[in-house]
Amino acid sequence: MSESHKFILMLEEVNKSFEGFKAISNLTLYMDEGELRVIIGPNGAGKSSMLDLITGRTKPDSGKIEFGRDTDLTKLNEAKINQLGISRKFQTPSVYVDHTVFENIWLSLQGSRSVWSTLFSRVTPERRDRIYEVLKIIALDGKADWKAGALSHGQKQWLEIGMLLAQNPKLLLVDEPAAGMTDEETHKTGELLLGLEGKHSIIVIEHDMTFVRQIARKVTVLHQGTVLCEGKVDDIQNNERVREVYLGRKKKN
Amino acid sequence: MLVKTTKWELWIVAVATVSLLAVLPSLNAFTAPESLMHVSDFTINLYGKYLCYGILAISVDLLWGYTGLLSLGQCLFFALGGYMMGMYLMRMIGDLGQYHQPIPDFLVFLGWSRLPTFWEPFSSFAFALVMVILLPAVLALVFGFLAFRSRIKGVYFAILTQALTYAGCLLFFRNDLLMGGNNGFTDFKFIAGYDLRNASTQRGLYICTVLLLLGTYALCKWLTATKFGKVQQAIRDSENRVLFSGYATAHFKLFVFVLAAIIAGLAGALYVPQVGIINPSEMGPDKSLEAIIWVAVGGRGTLIGPVIGAFAVNAMKSWATRAYPDLWLLFLGLTFILVTLFMPKGIVGLPAQLGVVKQRFWPAKPVVDESKPVVVEEAPLTKPD
Amino acid sequence: MTNIFRLTLALLCVIFSIASVQAQDETAARAKLVQAILSEGTEQQKALTEIADSGSKVASDVLFAWTRDGIYIYVAPDGSKVPVMLEDQQDVEGRARGIRIIDGQPVKDASGKDMKFGDSDLNTADTDMRLRGEIQQTLDMLALADPDSDARSSAVTKLGNSQKESYIPILQTRLTKEKDVGVQKAIAEAIADLQLFDTNPTIQITGITQLAGLNSIGSLDNLKQLATSKGDPRVVKLANQAVGSIEHHIWWVNFYGTIFRGVSLGSILLIVALGLAITFGLMGVINMAHGEMIAVGAYTTYFIQNIFGAGFSFAINLPFSIAGRPLGFGLNLPGLNATGWFYQSYFLFAIPLSFIMAALAGLVLERTVIQFLYRRPLESLLATWGVSLVMQQLFRMVFGANNVQVNSPSWLLGHFTIDDVSFGYNRVFVVAFAILIVIGTWLLLSKTPLGLLIRAVMQNRSMASCMGVRTTRVNMITFAFGSGLAGLAGAFLSQIGNVGPSLGQNYIVDSFMTVVVGGVGSIIGTVYSALGIGVSDQVLQQQLGSPVMGKIIVLTCIILFLQWKPGGLFSIRSRNLD
Repeated sequence: MSESHKFILMLEEVNKSFEGFKAISNLTLYMDEGELRVIIGPNGAGKSSMLDLITGRTKPDSGKIEFGRDTDLTKLNEAKINQLGISRKFQTPSVYVDHTVFENIWLSLQGSRSVWSTLFSRVTPERRDRIYEVLKIIALDGKADWKAGALSHGQKQWLEIGMLLAQNPKLLLVDEPAAGMTDEETHKTGELLLGLEGKHSIIVIEHDMTFVRQIARKVTVLHQGTVLCEGKVDDIQNNERVREVYLGRKKKN
Repeated sequence: MLVKTTKWELWIVAVATVSLLAVLPSLNAFTAPESLMHVSDFTINLYGKYLCYGILAISVDLLWGYTGLLSLGQCLFFALGGYMMGMYLMRMIGDLGQYHQPIPDFLVFLGWSRLPTFWEPFSSFAFALVMVILLPAVLALVFGFLAFRSRIKGVYFAILTQALTYAGCLLFFRNDLLMGGNNGFTDFKFIAGYDLRNASTQRGLYICTVLLLLGTYALCKWLTATKFGKVQQAIRDSENRVLFSGYATAHFKLFVFVLAAIIAGLAGALYVPQVGIINPSEMGPDKSLEAIIWVAVGGRGTLIGPVIGAFAVNAMKSWATRAYPDLWLLFLGLTFILVTLFMPKGIVGLPAQLGVVKQRFWPAKPVVDESKPVVVEEAPLTKPD
Repeated sequence: MTNIFRLTLALLCVIFSIASVQAQDETAARAKLVQAILSEGTEQQKALTEIADSGSKVASDVLFAWTRDGIYIYVAPDGSKVPVMLEDQQDVEGRARGIRIIDGQPVKDASGKDMKFGDSDLNTADTDMRLRGEIQQTLDMLALADPDSDARSSAVTKLGNSQKESYIPILQTRLTKEKDVGVQKAIAEAIADLQLFDTNPTIQITGITQLAGLNSIGSLDNLKQLATSKGDPRVVKLANQAVGSIEHHIWWVNFYGTIFRGVSLGSILLIVALGLAITFGLMGVINMAHGEMIAVGAYTTYFIQNIFGAGFSFAINLPFSIAGRPLGFGLNLPGLNATGWFYQSYFLFAIPLSFIMAALAGLVLERTVIQFLYRRPLESLLATWGVSLVMQQLFRMVFGANNVQVNSPSWLLGHFTIDDVSFGYNRVFVVAFAILIVIGTWLLLSKTPLGLLIRAVMQNRSMASCMGVRTTRVNMITFAFGSGLAGLAGAFLSQIGNVGPSLGQNYIVDSFMTVVVGGVGSIIGTVYSALGIGVSDQVLQQQLGSPVMGKIIVLTCIILFLQWKPGGLFSIRSRNLD
């Protein structure tokens, strides 16, 4: 399997436990380039822990995590991993509340991240164009001068997605983008993500099954830190074991 | 577009610059002592001291207000800068000390007859100046590297910096460090050939302090407006987001920490010749906390706030320690509590805060059309008979 | 119940029988004394020898007076000679009552009135040099026969240090009669020490070997002298070896002593840090005034001591006046003027009161300041520092700027020794109490409903609130409890350290370090780190010979330690993003 070259992300037999609690056990997952993958699973299934491992926030106890051809992610820190082209959106919207929307995107723009470069960096016309381009995608171009703290919850979620886009990442990790959004906002978010398919590889973690059905091509179900099954939405929903896992859970908010 | 300065701030800075840099020294130098307009040597000296505190406060704010790093050890760097300058000033006493020996009095007292090797180069003013910058910078670099590498932040950072300054304080209290021990350095005579006891020398030092303050202000104004400054403030608001956006936050924090240490060191170096003494109590944990209160009172996250706070609190201190020596600590403590509880944005944020209060209690009324007579229906107060 | 009654009865019987036996002994001793004073030659010697074994207190007083010409002979109207001592209390003519040696009663005239004598009225019971020597020897042996084993030990040590070989036979005689193991050892040591001054190398060698075997610290100086002397080479060589082995022993004694002091210091640190671990670790509140809570406890102890003693008062004059009248307030509390065991028991009252006072102070602090600053740790740090300044100033105004004197109750003074390592009762007490407190706190947090509530609120304040927990009340109780622990620490601290307005400042940095090293929120981690920091602090102090360098090294080590384990010893790792 690992000889194949088209995978952008590869996790093989990854294990991680916290104080005896096994958050991730023997997790193996492959992702194609340009793929939009949805990951679902009940609370505590290890979804966020998996993102922590990929982005370098935690290190696995054992197993391989590779990006692209052969970049070993387990040896790198968060900043380095991001510079490789992996961007992550957090579960709760995380933006710079005291900065304007424009500045939020400016800070996220692809480019050098060293201390010296930031000291003498200017907003060139090209960069301004690029910022507004991103703002247009997330429909915040009218609010470029607003403080990010003044935005609504949904808008903050979008701003954060915009900040990921500005980095022009190869792989986008999106943790519950629709949480706390209205139905309409959720739908728009879905379209936004679908529009990115093909240009970026995307992993979406989500609970909202309507939203999942809207965007999902291939769904992976995580349970107790390992892959329970993979497949199309309908197959997953009809899968006996998945039902067992979710038994008694509401499928839609 | 990105360097935003309110009209108010510009005015304050302009007026302060003119009066501190031109008016006060002129009134000191060119008016007769009995004139009403005269500014005494004492006042100049006092203001010089306050201004040094103002610079220190800016360095605290650069860390706390702009980067979210509450350092409880900023006075360590201030005092180290002061000590480096103090070593030079001690050398300049020459043999005019109590013992009339070519080495500092306290060394004679400790039984030394020859200058310890590490004291030798401090006869050079240039070397002392380099050390004023280098020692705080290197210490900040080493400590900051260790602290930020292991991601110590928030309260833990505060506690560790306090421990650091406490350790420094204990160290300098020791006589065998050969840095004057308990009494530190005092009885300075000359700086760069000028007699420290002359009013003109003190005036010169005062002007240097104003210039350093202006320079620091301008540097920080520029720094906080650059992309670096934006990253710095982003670290304060959401460090994880910055980290996951590809910035090695540790490098940024380290840069600011070292810069703040250098600024504090320079302020300390100017403080010592004006105050005439440096001893280990300047490094005590309480001094650093006092510096924090200047910033809190003035308004953190702004650059004029800390200076205003340093002036306000120290002016109050000068008055209260003379008028009510027993109660001064009560004043200071209460100020600390009240400012934290009720004035989170300090003096600078007061107008906005008052605006909010005013809005709550006396909301702006919708304009009433006065041409329309207001008909008040007279309600019968008592039932008609 | 009946068993206890019987036991008490049996004990009382024993005590009474001991008392009567002693009374009998005294009567016999007095008779012998009279015999010794009035007789001469061999009869006198025999009487003295018999007295020597009695251990009688009266005998030593009388014999001592005899050597100082303080025994007089009163010739009774019937011509019999009655030895008497004159009382210290003299009347205007310089005359005093005469106390008969035989029964301790005053001499009476025919009418039954007490008779008074001047110095010249009576003849003294004369002594010559030989007799005085014999009496002195009897006195020494009397001391060796003292019923109290501690008094015997110190008498033995005194003779051992006298460098007079002549005592050896006395000591050897005593050794055959001695039953107490400790005193036996002391006697053996004393004999060996005296043997060093013998001229015969064989005897010297016996002494040296004996002393080396006993690890005698007291004879180190004598051995050193011998080791550098130009005597018999075998003696010098052995003495050198003995010095080496004793010095080695001293090193270990100091080492264990240091460890013990470290453990007791660590125990104080532990009680302080336990309070912090609760307010800081569980509640996330940085209380810079925690140190002042220690001072509250220590000053409460001081206050209670004064209430049991001569009373307590203070007066504060404010530099303000209204209508010409200066403002001020004060307090004047009369004391109980207690004495004896009642006064000594003040500390037992002070312990719970220290806890209560500090807890109340904590409660007030929580209600007035802290409750507005939950989830804003940096602000709570600043505000509580303000509180700490205010409290320090209040201490200064009420109790004065200088350290106050807290006397340890007599039952905490003194120490016991195990193999030359001395353990102060006060420190042992602190260690024992710290163990109790840790166990109590652990039980409270993990086994009681209140503990469950506390843990619930600390984990998720808003969730607990939704579940119907009265979070405000739990916060208050938790904070008060944490502060109360600091108060307890203060009460103990008053027994082994100084009490002054800035008492808290000396401990606050250390105790924050303790919590950080132990792992925030982990009680077991706090225990380990408190003991670790306490012990390494003391060991480094001893090794470096300087308290400051020790402290600096400990602080540096802590900073480096956090590089390796940023979360402390026992970190509670969270999977959440902050």
